[in-house]
Amino acid sequence: MSNALIELSSVDKDYVSEAAIVRALRTVDLVIDKGDFAAIVGQSGSGKSTMMNIIGCLDRPTRGSYVLDGIDVSQRSNDARAIVRNRLIGFIFQGFNLLPRTTALENVELPLIYRGISGKIRRKRAEEVLASVGLADRMHHTPNQLSGGQQQRVAIARALVTEPPLLLADEPTGNLDTRTSLEVLELLQRLNEDAGITIVLVTHEHDIAACAKRVIRMTDGRVQFDTRNAAPMVAKAALAALPTTDQEGT
Amino acid sequence: MKHLLSAIRISFRAISRSKLRAGLTILGILIGVSAVVIVVALGNAVRGQVMAQINTLGANTIYIFPQDTRSSGARTQARARLSEADAAAILREATSISAITPQSTTRAQVLAGDKNYSTSVLGVGDSYFQVMGFELAQGTTFSAIDFRTKTKVLILGATVKRELFGDGDAIGEYVRIGKYPFRVVGLLKEKGQSPFGEDQDDRMLTPIGTFRARLLPSPPGRVQLLIAQASDDLTVDSATRQIDRILRQRHDIEPEDEPDFGVRTQAEIRKTNEQSFAILTTILSAIAGISLVVGGIGVMNVMLVSVTERTREIGIRMAIGASQSDILLQFLVEAIVLSLCGGVLGLLVGLGVNAGIARALGWTLSVPPSAVILAVTVSAGVGVVFGFLPAHRASRLDPIDALRHE
Repeated sequence: MSNALIELSSVDKDYVSEAAIVRALRTVDLVIDKGDFAAIVGQSGSGKSTMMNIIGCLDRPTRGSYVLDGIDVSQRSNDARAIVRNRLIGFIFQGFNLLPRTTALENVELPLIYRGISGKIRRKRAEEVLASVGLADRMHHTPNQLSGGQQQRVAIARALVTEPPLLLADEPTGNLDTRTSLEVLELLQRLNEDAGITIVLVTHEHDIAACAKRVIRMTDGRVQFDTRNAAPMVAKAALAALPTTDQEGT
Repeated sequence: MKHLLSAIRISFRAISRSKLRAGLTILGILIGVSAVVIVVALGNAVRGQVMAQINTLGANTIYIFPQDTRSSGARTQARARLSEADAAAILREATSISAITPQSTTRAQVLAGDKNYSTSVLGVGDSYFQVMGFELAQGTTFSAIDFRTKTKVLILGATVKRELFGDGDAIGEYVRIGKYPFRVVGLLKEKGQSPFGEDQDDRMLTPIGTFRARLLPSPPGRVQLLIAQASDDLTVDSATRQIDRILRQRHDIEPEDEPDFGVRTQAEIRKTNEQSFAILTTILSAIAGISLVVGGIGVMNVMLVSVTERTREIGIRMAIGASQSDILLQFLVEAIVLSLCGGVLGLLVGLGVNAGIARALGWTLSVPPSAVILAVTVSAGVGVVFGFLPAHRASRLDPIDALRHE
């Protein structure tokens, strides 16, 4: 059995508008192994978001094939891809995308509802995951009662609760300050190291990409560079090195 | 099943988040459903009342009355053409008739002591009580001698008795009509209103012969109306045909000519009433139904707004694994919950209003169980029909666009 989790072969993605065809991805070939931590970087319009949507089974490639965990998902129906997203992928978004006016616990339970897991088990599992991201005492808070970092940790808990092999993070630190960003990255690195979860992270920040084991640079819908970080930055160490004069309010 | 339960829970939460909006939407359905419930109950009550009144006309009765004939388009003078001899002939020859009675009516002023009351006096035959279903509360009916000798005797309806004697005893007392004293021999049991709005207790009965001799002078044997009773409800039609044949023969009328008498059965009166009620009920129900449709449009409107507002939520749900059918179910259930709430509350309001009307008018208003089931299923149906478009729209959203939606 191959060790590849993500296999993109000659993937094209065209967006057709009235005026023109935008070729967002052009013959992209990419393999990401299980246990990897890859950062996709690039300027806006480089195709990194499109790549993310296709890897996340939110979108289908126009041409080419996409095999995720041994399943060819490139031309599956909407409902089939919904199941794949629920089973294999955990999403972390820039804007957190938590349901408003819904407690952290209920937000984390959500993916399990769609998996058809019954109430008690669902609740217990959600509580465990929330505790593991350090939010045991914030379970019944709604998103507007939580800080940005806490919200993102709720989102990570929601992504983890189904125990997916793949975590997709789209600019996960875009809305966070340096310290909180490092905290989130520290959590992601820990998940990658300890639980062996494959992480694909889209970012335009070099500091963030520096934490990944592998950096994939996109330009004009193509993979421009694909390099391994010889020594990824350790977020925990960087966090410790931060001046402690910062007031950590929330 | 599990999905359905959580969809119901989610929808309750979503509804509780915009209480005013949900409340107004529910109000729309509530008004529609309660309107239907009230209209159905009122229709049933009025119909039941009228049918009960029609039944007081006596069972399987057939009314025979003189009728104007038209010759060459002009109306000839109506003459009293029915007689006791006609009645006797019908009873003798018509095999489907079990009894027949004459009935002539006039208004009269009665005096008892210092009381003075105007009422109708009916000259009747001895079968009147049987045919019309009148029973005596007190006293006796007329005897054969009363009929033969045209005795001045009266049987009073309950209203007349109350007007003249109050709570006192009336049997054996004398009352005066014109210059003649009449002796009260009996009192009728209360019967209530006729379908024509007439107080059937506001009448007095006297033998038909006495009526002709003392109250409304008319040729011997002449009667205003004959009331026959068919032996049972299956023979009413044949009885009607027999009456027609016998009277044509006696009055010398060719089968192709228009008769100088008319025949109406209780069943016909009932049928005419049933038909007009059916039309009335249909119209009223249609109006009530329109308000239900308007309520349904309200549901659709709110659901469309809700889908737009929650586009991002739909995107999130889809991203973390909700299928299109999950989203469809969620919004459909929300629409159904809204309209079911309206349906159940509307049912309660309708029943409450009915109870109020019943108390105010002294009617018995019953809502048949079928109407209750109908109110609930129809309101749920409204939710499905008017909730489908918004729910379908939600389920077809592209998760990427939905996630970008602000």
